[in-house]
Amino acid sequence: MSAVITAEGLTMRFRRPVKRPGLAGSLKHLVHPEYTWATAVADVNLSIEPGESVAYVGPNGAGKSTTIKLLCGILIPSAGRVEVCGLQPHRNRQRNAANISVVFGQRTQLWWDIPVIESLRLLGDIYSVPATEYQRNLTEMVDVLDLAPLLPVPVRQLSLGQRMRCDLAAALIHSPRVLFLDEPTIGLDVAVKAKLRELVGRMVRERGLTLMLTSHDVGDIEQLCPRLVMLDAGRVVYDGRYAELSRRFAWETKITASSAVPLDGHPELAVAQIPGVTRTDRPDGTTLRVWFDNRVATCGTVVAGIVDQFRISDLAVDEGAAEDVIRRLYSGDLEYSTEEPA
Amino acid sequence: MTTTTPSAGQRTRPWPRYLSIAQVSLQDAVAYRVSTIIGIGVAFLWVLILYFLWRAAYARAPLTAGYTWPEMRTYVVLAFGINALVGWRVGSLMMATVRTGDVVFDYVRPLNYCFAQLFRACGYCLVEGLVSLAMCLLVGFAFLHIAAPASPADALLFAVSLLLGVLTKALFVFLVSLLAFWTLSGLGLMWAQQAVIQVFSGTIVPLALMPDWLRTLAAILPLRGIVATPLTLYLGKADPPTALGLLALQAGWVAALLLLANVAWRRAFDVAEIQGG
Ligand SMILES: Nc1ncnc2c1ncn2[C@@H]1O[C@H](COP(=O)(O)OP(=O)(O)OP(=O)(O)O)[C@@H](O)[C@H]1O
Ligand SMILES: [Mg+2]
Repeated sequence: MSAVITAEGLTMRFRRPVKRPGLAGSLKHLVHPEYTWATAVADVNLSIEPGESVAYVGPNGAGKSTTIKLLCGILIPSAGRVEVCGLQPHRNRQRNAANISVVFGQRTQLWWDIPVIESLRLLGDIYSVPATEYQRNLTEMVDVLDLAPLLPVPVRQLSLGQRMRCDLAAALIHSPRVLFLDEPTIGLDVAVKAKLRELVGRMVRERGLTLMLTSHDVGDIEQLCPRLVMLDAGRVVYDGRYAELSRRFAWETKITASSAVPLDGHPELAVAQIPGVTRTDRPDGTTLRVWFDNRVATCGTVVAGIVDQFRISDLAVDEGAAEDVIRRLYSGDLEYSTEEPA
Repeated sequence: MTTTTPSAGQRTRPWPRYLSIAQVSLQDAVAYRVSTIIGIGVAFLWVLILYFLWRAAYARAPLTAGYTWPEMRTYVVLAFGINALVGWRVGSLMMATVRTGDVVFDYVRPLNYCFAQLFRACGYCLVEGLVSLAMCLLVGFAFLHIAAPASPADALLFAVSLLLGVLTKALFVFLVSLLAFWTLSGLGLMWAQQAVIQVFSGTIVPLALMPDWLRTLAAILPLRGIVATPLTLYLGKADPPTALGLLALQAGWVAALLLLANVAWRRAFDVAEIQGG
């Protein structure tokens, strides 16, 4: 099998203690513990090729971090199979570690009280990175991430953005084959985000690094990941090209038509009869908004129908950018329709 | 402020990984030298209290359970210094990473977790442990009239035993701290382990002074290897066959603990519920 990462029926259930409030509840739990099971990841199938960049997205609590932990061998799957570089991560943690690297945006793997360069050197030793390779990696990362002034500083004295730059360097110092980034750009300014993306992009292009990234920042996805896997409540609801996302989910197009003069009567009632139109409304006296199913109707037929009702002075068509689609999917405004558009 | 030159670049090959871990933890310990020294100073008060209590006791009876006053004062002062060779630092760091979930990084390193923690303990031992031992020896020889090893042969046995003792304690602290993977909160564990070690290692009183049932228990448990066994050898209170027997017991326990630790951490990694997203 040529895939670097495969998951088949990957499932993770967590046990949560049921504790009634108060001391009595705590005591009761001690004597007779009760648990509920929560499924964080449900039957996920993935296959990622070497050198691919995959964005793993979904609303808060969807199970993204849990999946990353399963792929790193941190958690043991409740069911299903994982394989990373031909190893089952949780069965071969030490060997798997040499192939992968992971960055958790809200954690640091650097030693808190010693200078950054010492942490990097220690990681180099831990992974037995040959001196020339270490030097080459360090030089490249210092260059792209502008780390030179940070190297002699203990991690506890760094700002969040400075620390994340160092953390990314730490993750890449041993030239891993697979990099997992769990919300790497959380809380970073635009310039730092750009630097991180530049380095990661470069490693993917030049070294064939395989990347799996979770993020709530569409910029990360747009710039790094042609492929997107979307998760909702632990299930994969979309796995395909990022650029295809709107075609798949944003089957509803919005048209905003304005008239120069106040609208007479109820043009929206007539417009609502056009085949494919799903709803209409009148936010003010001169404007009409129309939503239609773009799998059924075209923009042209709907606009023609509106023109029959009144003279349009201004027209806006909102197809829904991918970012907008993601936002609307998360908020439940769009449905995770399983059918392909007609 | 620690100043370091990025010297790593000039290396021609990477260091052995565990050695490098020990070296970094040594650096870490140096970064905290002030708090370390204060901690040692405060703890040293205990030595003085024990010392004067025993002196008062010996003023009435010149021989207690086979220990003369010169032997006892040597025991009391050195017991503290030896027990301080391995501290709680590694244990509390381990527990903290489990509580916060930062332990995830230990899952994704090509390291034997047990060995990594032991070498880390070595780094701290070299700074914190040796400072407190040096302080004991200094104050002990200068003011408290402690004795030198009974003979050069005893000194040698003592050195071997001391090394095994350091390993015993580091392994014990490791094993107790591993419980945090199950319990999550570690503070209670820490206090409990401290009390258990102080009693069963013979830091507070030599085994010979314990009531029968406690002495029998302490004599076979591994913890005596931390303080009581090295000091028995230092004071020359064991004839050669007994001395070798004691060392064999120590070595046997170290091997057993090492084995247990290596089974236990893998188990702990599998059961842990990793905290935090
Ligand atoms: N150790 C744990 N014990 C119990 N439940 C857990 C544990 N870790 C995660 N969960 C639950 O699993 C679900 C998925 O969590 P996860 O951290 O994977 O979400 P996420 O997709 O990364 O979300 P976010 O975008 O907020 O980071 C959540 O409902 C969470 O409460
Ligand atoms: Mg998460």
